Amino acid sequence: MADTAIYQQYLQNLKCTVESLLVTQVANVWSIYGGLNRLYLCLEKIFSHGCKNISQDGIYFNFIQGLEWLQPEPSKCYFNVDCEYDPHIPALIKDKASIWLYRSLESHTLSTKLSWLLLDNLHVQSCYEPWAFLCQKEYADATLICLKAVERNQATLLSEINPCLFLKNASTKEFVKSHRRCFSFPDNHLKFCGKSISHLRNMADKNSSSSQDKVVLGKLKPWSSLPDLQIDSAMKVIATKINFISKTTPNTPIHSKKISPSLLKVDYNALQTATFNRNTLRKCIRKTNDCEREVKRIVINNSDIIEHAPISSCKYGTTSSDKESDKSKNFLSHSPLSVVDSFLPTEGEKDYSRHCPKRFIEDGGMSILPMSTGKLARSNAELDRENAHFSISEAIISAMEQLKCNRDLKLVNEELLDDSDPEVMDLKQRIRFRRRQRHVDSKTSQWSSDTISDIKTDTTVSPSSTPSEESPDLSSSEDVDDIEIDQATNSLGDSQGLSMSLASLYSDADIVKKPRGVPDGASDVLSAEGVALTLISKFNEKHLPKASDLDWLVSEEEAPQALLPLPKCWPLDQKTADKSTTLLRGTKDWAPPRPQIVLTIHPTPARKTLMEKQNYRCAGCGMKVAEKYASKYRYCNYLGKYFCTGCHKNQVAYLPARVLYKWDFKEYQVSTFSYKLLEQMYYDPLFRIFDLNKNAKKLCGNLEFVRKYRLGLIYLKEYIFTCRFAETVQERLEPALPSYFLAKPDEYSMDDLVKIKNGEMKNKLKFLVDICCRHTSECKLCIARGYICEVCKDGVIIFPWQMKVVSRCSKCSACYHIKCWTESNECLRCTRINRRKQNANSTDI
Amino acid sequence: MASRKKILLKVIILGDSSVGKTSLMNQYVSRKFTNQYKATIGADFLTKEVTVDDRTVTLQIWDTAGQERFQSLGVAFYRGADCCVLVFDVTAPNTFKSLDSWRDEFLIQASPRDPENFPFVLLGNKVDLEPRAISAKRAQQWCQSKNNIPYFETSAKEGLNVEQAFLAIAKNALAQQNSTIDLYNEFPDQIKLTNTQKPSGSGDSCAC
Repeated sequence: MADTAIYQQYLQNLKCTVESLLVTQVANVWSIYGGLNRLYLCLEKIFSHGCKNISQDGIYFNFIQGLEWLQPEPSKCYFNVDCEYDPHIPALIKDKASIWLYRSLESHTLSTKLSWLLLDNLHVQSCYEPWAFLCQKEYADATLICLKAVERNQATLLSEINPCLFLKNASTKEFVKSHRRCFSFPDNHLKFCGKSISHLRNMADKNSSSSQDKVVLGKLKPWSSLPDLQIDSAMKVIATKINFISKTTPNTPIHSKKISPSLLKVDYNALQTATFNRNTLRKCIRKTNDCEREVKRIVINNSDIIEHAPISSCKYGTTSSDKESDKSKNFLSHSPLSVVDSFLPTEGEKDYSRHCPKRFIEDGGMSILPMSTGKLARSNAELDRENAHFSISEAIISAMEQLKCNRDLKLVNEELLDDSDPEVMDLKQRIRFRRRQRHVDSKTSQWSSDTISDIKTDTTVSPSSTPSEESPDLSSSEDVDDIEIDQATNSLGDSQGLSMSLASLYSDADIVKKPRGVPDGASDVLSAEGVALTLISKFNEKHLPKASDLDWLVSEEEAPQALLPLPKCWPLDQKTADKSTTLLRGTKDWAPPRPQIVLTIHPTPARKTLMEKQNYRCAGCGMKVAEKYASKYRYCNYLGKYFCTGCHKNQVAYLPARVLYKWDFKEYQVSTFSYKLLEQMYYDPLFRIFDLNKNAKKLCGNLEFVRKYRLGLIYLKEYIFTCRFAETVQERLEPALPSYFLAKPDEYSMDDLVKIKNGEMKNKLKFLVDICCRHTSECKLCIARGYICEVCKDGVIIFPWQMKVVSRCSKCSACYHIKCWTESNECLRCTRINRRKQNANSTDI
Repeated sequence: MASRKKILLKVIILGDSSVGKTSLMNQYVSRKFTNQYKATIGADFLTKEVTVDDRTVTLQIWDTAGQERFQSLGVAFYRGADCCVLVFDVTAPNTFKSLDSWRDEFLIQASPRDPENFPFVLLGNKVDLEPRAISAKRAQQWCQSKNNIPYFETSAKEGLNVEQAFLAIAKNALAQQNSTIDLYNEFPDQIKLTNTQKPSGSGDSCAC
């Protein structure tokens, strides 16, 4: 009974975690902070429960190692790869088994793998005690359901779990709902089973053929449970073949999902899938397979963002254009709706209150250290977030391109049939291309960025000679034939289609336009971003549409960068994930401001030159302004750029640079972006004022005083916080100062500097040092932990905070009188320690 | 001589981290043992009254940090110690190897009057655990080489030999104190003498 309670608890934990992951309906469940880790921990418990033969590679390593032979296709066995450490895995996960679990979970393949493992009863029994969680069939099935729910992002799947499992003292037998464990079970394994069993039977009653059939049919029963597949045994052979296809592609979860009828009783998509596949199969299995891959490559940009939602429709949508439009609808309406919703500002202005203000350090992958020394490191995650609009626009473009490409493919294909002479065809293409270009050029002047423009582009692109092609009433079977062209024509059509349609996206003016001026300080020319920009302008110009030429789902101005959600990890295979990420922000002549720490004092602004440098665009939103109205733009003293009145509300703030170098506590006007940034970093210890400014001592007497007292207090803290007689002092010391203040001696926040300026800090430190010193001079324990100068061996106990008379070795923290020892001498204790280390080493050898 | 006066004996326990210094002290003073490991920071002490040779003495047992990173505080309490207890883990050979450096360090920092005859006691702890890495014989050999230090094999977990060991420690400490008091009486100005030497010999001449 106690066991049941444990099972219930584990299952309940798992289910709760899954529910909380799925409740928000985000496209990528792993983008929920901590979701992956929490789920991993739940599963870790389940996997470890009742495990025997504990291996040194992790508790349940022996169990999962079974994959090496249980996996139906040894060639596709990535077991060892999955066990390898990957830098993104949290540090606490160390052994191979845990890494395997984490990675499988992340790649959405765990349910498949687990089902393989569980299918072999002998293996399970050899690895687990009979009372183990995974040995309980109902609970193991429930676990599988939970995993599948996560993989498909379908919370409704959870209802499949037998509710009796959560009841106390209930017999689960009454409601047994059998759940198919292995939904994409490979046929060769089946055949093997079938054969071996039939072989045995053959031996027994010499009735080989019929018995073999029986076994295979029996195994395939789940397929026939699909309502529309009430078919004869011949059909079943095809079903097996479908299964075969699903295996030939890499065993990513996406694929098994697409083909399998799923564990839902009947899922419309899956039905479609099955029928579609049957049609195709009759024609040619191989080619579909090829084109599947091809299509997958093209569509991948979408799935980056949309993730799971339209996977099945993506795949089949590309084969017919009406389904294609379905897909784009799907893209717009289905999954990212919540995303779009979160963009929309309430009153048409930036609303920072909607997301709780984070402190600067918490806000992103910016580490303090490089910032305070002026360097800047950007984490990919943050760039991704910043570039969300790019990925979205790329998704839109790729969808449009797909449409056009399909149409052009059709065209090329037909032409290939009509006139087989390549020269004639080439000429025709050229003529069409030129005509179109002229057409586009005439249109560029009246180009507007309203929603219709893309549709306009479409009409211009589509050749007038073949108007009938535009109608998307193509039956799916026809379309399948179209895609079954060989690789050569495919690629040819591809490139031409792209260049043709892309030409329309470019206006001459854009191509000629000079690259964006130095965005954030002169060093940017050599920065990675600068280099990337140059590269792109040189060689990728024809292949990437400009962000400014696109229709935005939501204009950037309305979408604060932080609100643009982008999943932090993708459950895709490595290759596609690498291709799809863009590491660029902004366009050639404008980029959103970065949350930088600016430590330069900007010279008095020359509006004209600066505005020219900014291409007459607002540094905050990229809005262009006519030259004569440039005077309306406001100067941000923090970033040293001009902003429109929407992005600059004349808010004032202390400027770190002026404080650090001039001790100037005047408040200057800054843009809203800078204001928010400065507000965020106000309490963060970002400034090593004594490193940044060699003359800091001279700035203010208080500063030097605070520096000394702070260091003294850090020494005192070591005694106070480890002394059991100092509780009252601890209580006063602890809340008095921010936590960083006594951890590192030289980092200051703006708040600290302001308090130093007005003297508040000095008084506070003086008081704290006073009470601490009083304690240590009286406390028996603290005195006992003082030092005796080893050089003079004077009996007087010295302490490190007596800085006027005591010097301290920075390595071993031994204390000496200043007159006996200074840092330039060799420390006696260090010498001893080193000598012992050397001795130890030599004796070891 | 000071039989009526309350006698305070200062005992310092030294040894590598996790050999069981704190456990030994807790087992001896309060007869408690926990399997949980908590590193000692700096130093702390417990006291216990015992009767040695019909005299009631107060043992002030100083437990120290074995981990190097927790040795950032001073060791002024070494001064005036009456006995030093060195502890190693019989299952961990490294803890035995570092005994020499602990002894050296103690003698330097405590700078007792007569370093050669300062009382040390060696405890080989965790004898309840298997497998043993340091045999009793080897430990005893080391003790003999260091002027016949008494050696005890203990288990803080099971309370094995702890009482006997600390009794021996107390006896040694008491003997030490008696001898130093004699010295004090004989040379009352000893400290001042060194004081006057200090300024001239600062800095360069002190390389040891």
